[in-house]
Formats: sequence, C-alpha cells, structure tokens
Amino acid sequence: MSDPLMPELPSAGGGTIAPRQPTDWTTDAMRQRIRKRYARERRFRRLGLVAVVMSAAFLAFLLVTMASQGLGGFFRTEVALPIDFPQTGIEVDKAALDQPGADLALAGAGLENIVGSAAIAAFGDYGPNVISDNAWLTVREAIKHDPSILDGRAVIHVPASAEIDRAISETGTPEAEAAVTKLQAENAITEGFNWRFLSASDSTDPTQVGIWGALKGSFFTMLVTFLIAFPVGVLAAIYLEEYAPKNRWTDLVEVSINNLAAVPSIIFGLLGLAVFLGTWTLFGHKVGPLLPRSAALVGGLTLALMIMPVIVIASRNAIKAVPPSIRDAALGIGASKVQVVFHHVLPLALPGILTGTIIGMARALGETAPLLLVGMRAFIATPPDSLTDKATVLPVQIFLWSDEVSRGFVEKTSAAIIVLLVFLLAMNAVAIYLRNKFETRW
Amino acid sequence: MTFSALIFLIAGLGLISWLTARARAARFDRAGRRRLHSLPAQHGWYVALWTVVPPLLFLLCWSAIEPGLVSQAVMAHPAAAQLPGFDFERQAVLAEARRLASGSQIGAFNPLAEQLAPVMAEAQSHYAWLGTLVAMLLAFAGGAFAFTRIRANFHARTRVERVVMFVLIIASLIAILTTLGIFLSLVRESLRFFSMVPVTDFLFGTHWAPQVIDPNDPGASLGAVPLFWGTFFIGAVIAMLVAIPFGLMSAIYLTQYAAPRVRRWMKPILEILAGVPTVVYGYFAALTVAPAVRDLAVMLGMEFASSESALAAGVVMGVMIIPFVSSMADDSIAAVPTAMRDGSLALGATTSETIGRVLVPAALPGVVAGVLLAVSRAIGETMIVVMAASGAANITLNPFESTTTVTKQIVDLLTGDAAFDSPKTLAAFALGLTLFLVTLALNIIALRVVKKYREAYE
Repeated sequence: MSDPLMPELPSAGGGTIAPRQPTDWTTDAMRQRIRKRYARERRFRRLGLVAVVMSAAFLAFLLVTMASQGLGGFFRTEVALPIDFPQTGIEVDKAALDQPGADLALAGAGLENIVGSAAIAAFGDYGPNVISDNAWLTVREAIKHDPSILDGRAVIHVPASAEIDRAISETGTPEAEAAVTKLQAENAITEGFNWRFLSASDSTDPTQVGIWGALKGSFFTMLVTFLIAFPVGVLAAIYLEEYAPKNRWTDLVEVSINNLAAVPSIIFGLLGLAVFLGTWTLFGHKVGPLLPRSAALVGGLTLALMIMPVIVIASRNAIKAVPPSIRDAALGIGASKVQVVFHHVLPLALPGILTGTIIGMARALGETAPLLLVGMRAFIATPPDSLTDKATVLPVQIFLWSDEVSRGFVEKTSAAIIVLLVFLLAMNAVAIYLRNKFETRW
Repeated sequence: MTFSALIFLIAGLGLISWLTARARAARFDRAGRRRLHSLPAQHGWYVALWTVVPPLLFLLCWSAIEPGLVSQAVMAHPAAAQLPGFDFERQAVLAEARRLASGSQIGAFNPLAEQLAPVMAEAQSHYAWLGTLVAMLLAFAGGAFAFTRIRANFHARTRVERVVMFVLIIASLIAILTTLGIFLSLVRESLRFFSMVPVTDFLFGTHWAPQVIDPNDPGASLGAVPLFWGTFFIGAVIAMLVAIPFGLMSAIYLTQYAAPRVRRWMKPILEILAGVPTVVYGYFAALTVAPAVRDLAVMLGMEFASSESALAAGVVMGVMIIPFVSSMADDSIAAVPTAMRDGSLALGATTSETIGRVLVPAALPGVVAGVLLAVSRAIGETMIVVMAASGAANITLNPFESTTTVTKQIVDLLTGDAAFDSPKTLAAFALGLTLFLVTLALNIIALRVVKKYREAYE
C-alpha cells in the first residue's frame, strides 16, 4: 500500500485500513457459505432443466393426446351385411349401370329400404341401428362395381353406426353392447382402413366425414397465397435491399413491413372482409364486393397479405448475406445493376429465400382466424373445383368439427389434426433441410 | 372466347415476339459492323413487354366497364321497359337473366328474365368479341411498333430495366398499401360505429351484451371494458405467468448450462411448440385442459366451476408463447459481451450468480422487449380463446371463472347473419381498431427498447 499513485484512504474511524489478510477458506463459516452457494447453483440449474423438460413434456403430451384420440379416426368398423337381392324384388336396368347415369338408375330402386330390411333380417330388430345411416351408399358402390351380385345373395361390408363404433372402443348403450357381442360371435365385425376419411368431404354423420374437400380447399388457398406473396415479397425485398435510396419513403416502407409482421392475424381477416367483401361508393357508383365470399381466392389473398412481411424479412436477410465482393465483381465486368441482382445475387440468396417462404407458407397453412372472418366456415359437402367455388380449409374444418356435439366427431377432429401436423412437420423439415444443405459461409 | 384463353393467347404472342425480336437483334450483331448496345435477349424483352402489357392493361379496364355496357344494351331493349322500378328487384331480375344467359341456371322463375336472357347473351358475346378484338389489335400494334425500333444502337436494356425498377417499387409499395388498407378500413367502419354509439359508451361502458341491443340506446349494451379486462387477464397475466418463467429459464438453461448436443436437440423441439397451429392448441385447451381445470376448481371447493375458465385458455396460450419468449431472451443474453460474463466468473461468482446479477440485468431491456412482443402476440391470439374461453363478459379476478376477450368477440360478432351496417357487426371493427392500435403501440415500444439497448453495447 505504499504505491504513491494509490493514496491511502482515510477510514471512517480516522485511522488507516488494516491491510487485508487472505481469506481463510478452510474455516467452517466459509465452508458453510460455499456449500450454500453451490447448493443454490445446483438448485438454479435444476430449475432450468425442469423448465426445459416441462416445456418438452407439454409438447409430448399434446402430440400423444392427439395421436391416441385420432388414430381411431383413420379406421372404421365394418359390418358384414348379407343381402339376398332377388328376394328383395329390386328392379334395376343393368345396362344402365355402366353409364354415367348409374346413380340415377339406382336412385329409384329404393336401396335405403332394401338395406334397412336386410339389416333387420340379419341382425334382428336392432339391425338398422347397427349399420350406418349411409350404409346404402356403400351397397350402391358395390352394385355399380359388380352388377352381377344382383342375381344372388351377397355379403357386403358396410360401415357400422356411430353407436356400434363407440360400443367397441369404449362403453356404449346396453343394446349396442349386446349387438357387438353377438356380431363378434358371428365374426361379422371387421376393422378396415377408412379410405373414406381421406377421400370424402364434410358430412353431418361422423362415420361418413372426410378431409378431401378441406385438403383441396387448403391447396387452392395456398396456391393463391404463394402466387401472390412469393413474387411480391421477393421483389419488395430486392428493392429495399439493393436499390432503395435511404430516405423517408423507404423508412416508411421498412417500418410498415416490420409492423405488419406483428399485426394479429385476425386483423387481416377484418381487412379482407372490409376490402374484398365489403361494398363502398366510388364517384357515386356502388362498387363491390370485389370477390366471391367463402372462396379460396379471397382466403388466399388475405393470407398472402399476412405472410408477405415474413417473406420480405427472410428474403432481405438472405440477400444481405450475399457478400458485396460478388456484386463488385459482376459490376466490374460490366453488368448492369439489374443484371447483378437477377444473375448473381438472387440465385445465391434463393435457398434462404425459399426457407423463409416455406416457413411463411406453413404459418398460412395452419391459420384459422382470418379465414373464419372471410366466410370460409361454410358447410362444404362437395370439394371445390375452382378458385371461386365455396371452400373451406383444413384448420377451419378442424374448428368446425370441434364444435360438433356428436361424440363421433372427437376422433375425426383429432385425426384431421394429425394430418395437418404431418403436413406442417414435413414443410418445416424441408425448410431445415434446405437451410442445412445450402447454407454457405462466405 | 373465354378470358383465360385470351390470356394464354396474349402470353403466346409475347413469347413469339420475344423469340423473333431476339433473333432479329442477333442478326444485327452478326453483321459485325456495329456492336449492339444491348444483348439480343434484352431486345426480346423490350418487344415482348410492348406486346403483352398494353392488351393486359386494356383488359383490366375493359373488365371494369364491360358489365355496365352490357346492362346498358339490355336496358335499350323494349322488353326492359317492363322492369320493376325498384332498384333491388330490378337487379334481381337482371342477375337472373345473367345466370340464364351464362347457362348456370336452367329455367327461369321470372318470365321477364327469360325474355331478357337472349338479349343479355347477345350483348355479352358482342362486347366479349369487341374486347378480344381490341386486345389483339393492341398486342399486334405494340409488338410491331417495338419491333421496328430494334437497331444496333437502340438502348433496349435501359428501357427494360426501367420497367423492372418500376415493378420493384410497386412491389415494395404493397406493404405500405396493406398497412394503409388495414388502418383505413378499420377507421372507416369504426367511424360508422361511433356515429351510432358514443365513443365513451364503448370505451368506458362495463356492460357487454351484443345479443340484445336496444335500438334506441345501442351503447348501453356495447361497453367494452369487460372485454379489455378479459383480454388483459388471459393474455397479459395468466399466459405471461406461464410463459415468462418457463421461457426465461429454458433460455438460460439452454445457453448457459446445456451441453451443445442437448442444445442442438432441445432448441428445435421447443420451436415446434411455436409451429403447432393455434386451432390445435384451442382444441387441446377445450377438450383436455378445460375439464381438468374445472375438476381442479371443484376439488378446491368451488361450486359452479366453469368449464370455459380463463385459466385453461391462459395456460395453453402461455405454453404457445414459451418458445417466443425463450428465443427473444436467448438473443438478448447472447448479445451481452462475453467480457462481462468472464469477468464475473473470474471474480469467483458461480454461474447462477453471474446469470442473476450480471447477464440478466444486462440483458433486461431485450428481455422486457421480448415480453412486450409476447404480450402483443397473446392478446391478438384468436383461436385458443374462441375455442376454450366463454362468451360471457365478466370482470373477475378469479381465474376459474369465465371471461371473454376482444378477439373472441370479433369472431362471434362477425359470424352471425346480421346486416353489414348494424351496430353489432360494426362493433367488431371498433374492437379490431382498438386491438390494432394496442398491438402497434406495444411493438413500437418494444422495438424502441431493443434499438436503444443495442446501441449501448456495440
């Protein structure tokens, strides 16, 4: 402490501070203290681990719940229903069955009654409750497939009713339980993969629903979203990153893009409703609605506006990552500024741009709220065939089914969720793969 | 000719003109006398643009005025004199005639529509052919004009690039237009709402019951305070009580303690939580969490426990936000200079002491900004509350009771069949405007905080 640069400080008592002794770490008090500190360290560390594990556990719980509830939705119970066609007195012109009007030819044959009485004959008075209300549709398909079964007795596997389904998986009504025991004894019950779930559309009967209509709607909607958001987003990013002068206008563009990325999705639904579906007066003329309600076109446009900022931000980052030396080299051999960007910068930035686009599209695919507001919550029993047809999308279908009272919809909802999650995971996996494969360190 | 066929035709013409123009420019080049100013392909683009753009612009305008011309032609027909004078009925008859003419409806309800249908069909085909003819003429004229301008010293590149820059600027303006569109459409509908309901009734009223609106005093049942409270309670209190501890501790563990291998695996797994669609969370909250919360409430001795409690929606929303808080905290902790951490460790502090007394205080502005962004996301979240929260607007501090939120009410108000200009539907836009302004303010504050903080360390 005799360093001239470090004057001795006067202490409170007026004297000088006693030179400090090295801490004796071996005393009990010190050991106690260190033990305490280390214990706190361990506790803290464990707390962190608990937070991570619990978050992951919640995810696992969510996925396991959905899987266990939903896997049943991919399978259906079928009942072997024997029908003796000649006895039922069915009269059908077999020649008409090969032609497009086959449904019409069979419509007059009263298949519903025939199937109903066949069920009574086979399973007793409870019979009509054993088979699904739409079992005659399966019989109709079977007849169309092979008209020769009309000549004799045929056993057709028809879907079981929701009651029977429940009696098998959990507990049902006493009558249904009795029927199941009887059917199982006769070996008349089989489990089959429910192709109908993938190929049919919405219905009021949970055993008959399918997700094909919703998937098709999702596809059309995503198509519109991609065709608008991708080019516009990438072009805007190119302009802002490569050409834009630094002035008040471009600042305004930047601020609005950053804010748009954080605007709640439902606000975009309100925008779509007011702009695309609303009417307003222009120069004394009534204009609008610009687009048809409930169509994939209006849903896709709304989602495009929503994910455009995501694409712009990801593309800007990808373009920014391309080193300036590449631009300088291209400019140096006489390329114009447009050529520099479109021949050199853009191809190099493309993997990053695509990654961001896929992530944005995945977000759009899972989005529900804005689509509810633009009317895509209609009951769609026939899949849409064009961009302007009434349509719904998979997440909205899930929402609609979750509102249904009938118990049979629970497993269908979970099954649809599984399909949605598989699509989203696949998209994210592609994005991660792209990022890892094409990631370049310059 | 259908519209899409016309578009294909124009695109085909564009391709042909691109090819011929490029070939012609290349011949100039091969002559070798004078060097081309622009590449042959650039001449191609120049001519193709002249071929394609004018007819497309024309078609855009034409599709706007064609319906007017058609109905004018129909009105000139003597049968149109019998049309009902009332505008609504007249439009209905004309719409039916249009459907008959296009073949999407077979058999008319209204005999007048049946009479007008052939007139309508004739007028439509007349104007469709006229439009096609003009579009084709424009395409050929534009292409020919541009084709004659190809010279060795013609500056095709400059002109094409000018168009490219124009397109780029338009693309970047769409972001502003969207923001402006959101703001204007919300403000416009909100102004209509506030012309029926006083602003003070809406902002400070404590009674919300849109199902029964007294036409003489709509403001009495449209007081939004219960919604604001419910939104705040679910999104900013319950959800954050879950998201902040879990998010922050996960970020600390993964950045400071976890082995690189654990981190490499756990980070994406947590990010999956953010990628799960909200409708799935909503379904999970309604079907699994809400009944469990109700059972818990019954166990705690509450008699009329709600199965649509604020707690169920809030907890699930909090879980959804965990990865968001975690990644924001991760970023801001990583931005603290290593020297500060090393200094603290070198002085003998344990890792947890370093984290608690050095890293987190230094990263606090970033963490706070992350929390603000998380709150803004939570209060704008829709599907979880639509599916798991109730529609009953209560002001309560009890998390087991039901409350409703702004987003849930927007969806409920707009999915009924009410007319577009009733106070009930317009209230949704006023709620939307409030939500938009609040989230905007939260974002701006958060970005400010982050910016300021970054400047302090770099």
